[in-house]
Amino acid sequence: MEKIGIFYSIDAVKTATVAQEIIEALGKDNVEIVSVEQAWKEDFEKYNNIIIGVSTWFDGELPTYWDELIPELSDANLKNKRIAIFGLGDQLNYPENFADGVGILAEKLTGSGAKLTGFTSPEGYKFEYSKALKGNQFQGLIIDVENQNNQTKKRIKDWVKTLEFK
Amino acid sequence: MKKYDIKTTDKETLKKWYHLMSLGRAIDDKAPSYLLQSLGWSFHAPYAGHDAIQLAVGQTFKQGEDHLFPYYRDLLTALSAGMTAEEIILNGISKATDPTSGGRHMSNHFAKKELNIHNVSSATATQALHAAGLARGLVSYKKPGVVFCSFGEASTSEGYVYEAINGASTERLPVIFIIQDNGYGISVPKHEQTANRRVADNFIGFKNLKIFYCNGKDVFDSMNAVAAAREYSATTGNPSIVQANCVRIGSHSNSDKQTLYRDENELAYVKAADPLDKFRRMLIRYKRLTEEEVKQIEEEVKIELKAANRKALAAPDPTPESIFDFVLPDAYQPQKYVDGIHHLTGEKITLVTAINQTLKAEFRHNPDTFLWGQDVANKEKGGVFNVTKGLQQEFGSLRVFNAPIAEDYIVGTANGMSRLDPKIRIVIEGAEFADYFWPAVEQYVETTHEYWRNNGQFVPNITLRLASGGYIGGGLYHSQTIEGALATLPGARIVYPSFADDAAGLLRTSMRSEGFTLFLEPKAQYNSEPASTVVPEDFEVPFGKARIRRPGTDLSIITYGNTTHLSLSVAEQIFRETGESIEVIDLRSLIPLDKETLFESVKKTGKVLVVHEDKVFGGFGGEIAAIIASELFQYLDAPVKRVGSTFTPVGFHKNLEQAILPNENRIYDAAKDLLNY
Ligand SMILES: Cc1cc2nc3c(=O)[nH]c(=O)nc-3n(C[C@H](O)[C@H](O)[C@H](O)COP(=O)(O)O)c2cc1C
Ligand SMILES: Cc1ncc(C[n+]2csc(CCOP(=O)(O)OP(=O)(O)O)c2C)c(N)n1
Repeated sequence: MEKIGIFYSIDAVKTATVAQEIIEALGKDNVEIVSVEQAWKEDFEKYNNIIIGVSTWFDGELPTYWDELIPELSDANLKNKRIAIFGLGDQLNYPENFADGVGILAEKLTGSGAKLTGFTSPEGYKFEYSKALKGNQFQGLIIDVENQNNQTKKRIKDWVKTLEFK
Repeated sequence: MKKYDIKTTDKETLKKWYHLMSLGRAIDDKAPSYLLQSLGWSFHAPYAGHDAIQLAVGQTFKQGEDHLFPYYRDLLTALSAGMTAEEIILNGISKATDPTSGGRHMSNHFAKKELNIHNVSSATATQALHAAGLARGLVSYKKPGVVFCSFGEASTSEGYVYEAINGASTERLPVIFIIQDNGYGISVPKHEQTANRRVADNFIGFKNLKIFYCNGKDVFDSMNAVAAAREYSATTGNPSIVQANCVRIGSHSNSDKQTLYRDENELAYVKAADPLDKFRRMLIRYKRLTEEEVKQIEEEVKIELKAANRKALAAPDPTPESIFDFVLPDAYQPQKYVDGIHHLTGEKITLVTAINQTLKAEFRHNPDTFLWGQDVANKEKGGVFNVTKGLQQEFGSLRVFNAPIAEDYIVGTANGMSRLDPKIRIVIEGAEFADYFWPAVEQYVETTHEYWRNNGQFVPNITLRLASGGYIGGGLYHSQTIEGALATLPGARIVYPSFADDAAGLLRTSMRSEGFTLFLEPKAQYNSEPASTVVPEDFEVPFGKARIRRPGTDLSIITYGNTTHLSLSVAEQIFRETGESIEVIDLRSLIPLDKETLFESVKKTGKVLVVHEDKVFGGFGGEIAAIIASELFQYLDAPVKRVGSTFTPVGFHKNLEQAILPNENRIYDAAKDLLNY
């Protein structure tokens, strides 16, 4: 398998913690960490296998570090790239926009030609609306450290097995 | 295709934006230091976190065409729309040259009349009604432009916001309501205000209204949303809402301490979302400006702020002597009937006919007159009491039209529409019955403040008519007279005629005057014989001139409205019985009050009975009695007595109504007591 580039904000403590668990599950040597704050188009184009970590802020918005990258990503050529997204959200306090960030990025990335992998079932979550949902699946792994942290480990373990990387 | 983005927006524009945002933030950050030095700005609501939406509103605002109603957090909006740093500081530290108000209004309320940036209340979102009214003016006069009206998401809980949005939707008014959503109303999180996270969603069902959502922390998203909303409202004439997601980086204001209710974690997220930092980062990352260019702008801002600060500090303070300026503007002065008295004989007409004919005459005389209210115009129906009958047929539905059952909207839109042009004169039937006026009291207060608060720059030209009082078996909400409560508020004239001619004359004067006049009509007299008089076609009655309806020497009865007629018959009865002569003075105007006529009468008779329909306790008569007791004590031969209603609501059954409202027996007994004193 080719190296996986994993993009997230190292300063986002919760996202970073989940990212570390994913890295462990995949095996450290298979993964390279890229800090979103420094990432640019070329950094994405460098990898064929990509994992993206994104939480959701403020009623369904991307964290600002991702939002700032969107214009750049719109121009990136992500054709044939396999991208898996994991996202953090709080279903209890934000059921109207649960993990919307995952959905927003999924749309942008597929718009730039990427092929998404690692869709999951929304079973076991309780929310009203989520942009992460497409049909009857989440377009990535949804982690709720606020309300279901006891499931985080298992969710990650199950998820990494499903990733179709090259 | 989005109009604005980091890659294509031209460099000069980006520089201008960064300059405005940095300057705004520098002022916002500096504001608390004025308070620390006791220089003012004691109310400061920092806008940090709302930067992008505020920049966007100001940049989209089209000077010379559009109107803007900002709210107290809109520092950058005002700056971006064209106010200068110096003007912002002049308001902040309440200088005499503060363009909002000359130091009269709270700090952090930014306005500039020349730019159509309007003076707004600190009562949250009341300006929504003014915005709708002003937009109605734009539509009426076929003017281009839109009205921007901004407020926080918590303020949308106010009923009048719904009235404004409903009205704008029904009338199709080009208002853009900007909802700046920072998640809190002071300490109250938004889930305790309304069920929808995006409050704009509460308005989804309103027809003609389009809602735009944006990230109020992102310059480009905000610019695109506000531009699209303006485009929609300007081209369709319909209202829109821009719901802008913001964060409140600071406390609500300098008197709030957010660490009491927001934890460190949340505040860290909020800080990380700082719109100014984000814009700066993007300018550099996308290589639109170099670090040096950005720093140069920041240096320029420092110099600019320093200069503005120096100038503002040197500006004069308002003087204590100025407090009585601009409470009320000068009224129209009748030339022919200088005392508001005529001697014409001939055919009498009823009070209702007199008002109706005067309205029509004034509408013919002045094409910039408008009238609205509930039930005022549908075919043959012209008001619950037919006061406005035939007006819409003659003057059309653009000038005479029905209003929704929303009294606050009726008054607030009058205030708003008045702002378009000083030549406009508006007559509103504030409610179907005076007692139903209470929902509009908030806008009544607002309208009384207006002229004073903006330091004489603008005055709403409104005649507010209300059918008042009892004696018709109407019961609660159909029998009250409300002048006692409203007379405590400076900024409105209050007139209360009892006869047809005085009603006609006072109405004409009101409609020709600048300013706000409360015109109370004793509805029991609309069609009564005693109130019917001959009315000269051009009759005018000046404000502040009482009329002696019956001269006398032994006792002065001071009265107005329905009780004028009761007092006159008591005076006649006593004269017939004993020959004692009672002077009956019909005040006609309560504000301004004709102290001269009252004083002359009291000096002559030495005895005073004040009679009115309102409650004795707390009624306007208390003021008259107190003035006479304190200024004419040496002329008095007896205590000042008062007759009025009992301190109860007005009951429905006639036994109750009769026991409550003043009647001839009670006036008779009180008059006799005084005559025999
Ligand atoms: C101010 C704020 C707004 C939030 N808005 C959302 C939201 O709209 N939807 C959601 O699913 N989670 C929302 N969350 C929850 C976060 O996504 C969740 O706490 C996550 O664990 C944060 O991870 P991070 O700190 O790594 O960004 C919000 C949290 C905060 C503090
Ligand atoms: C009619 C009225 N009620 C209460 C207040 C007190 N008050 C001032 S600001 C405020 C909160 C408003 O919050 P929001 O509309 O969300 O705007 P923000 O201040 O958050 O920008 C309140 C309750 C007021 N000014 N006016």
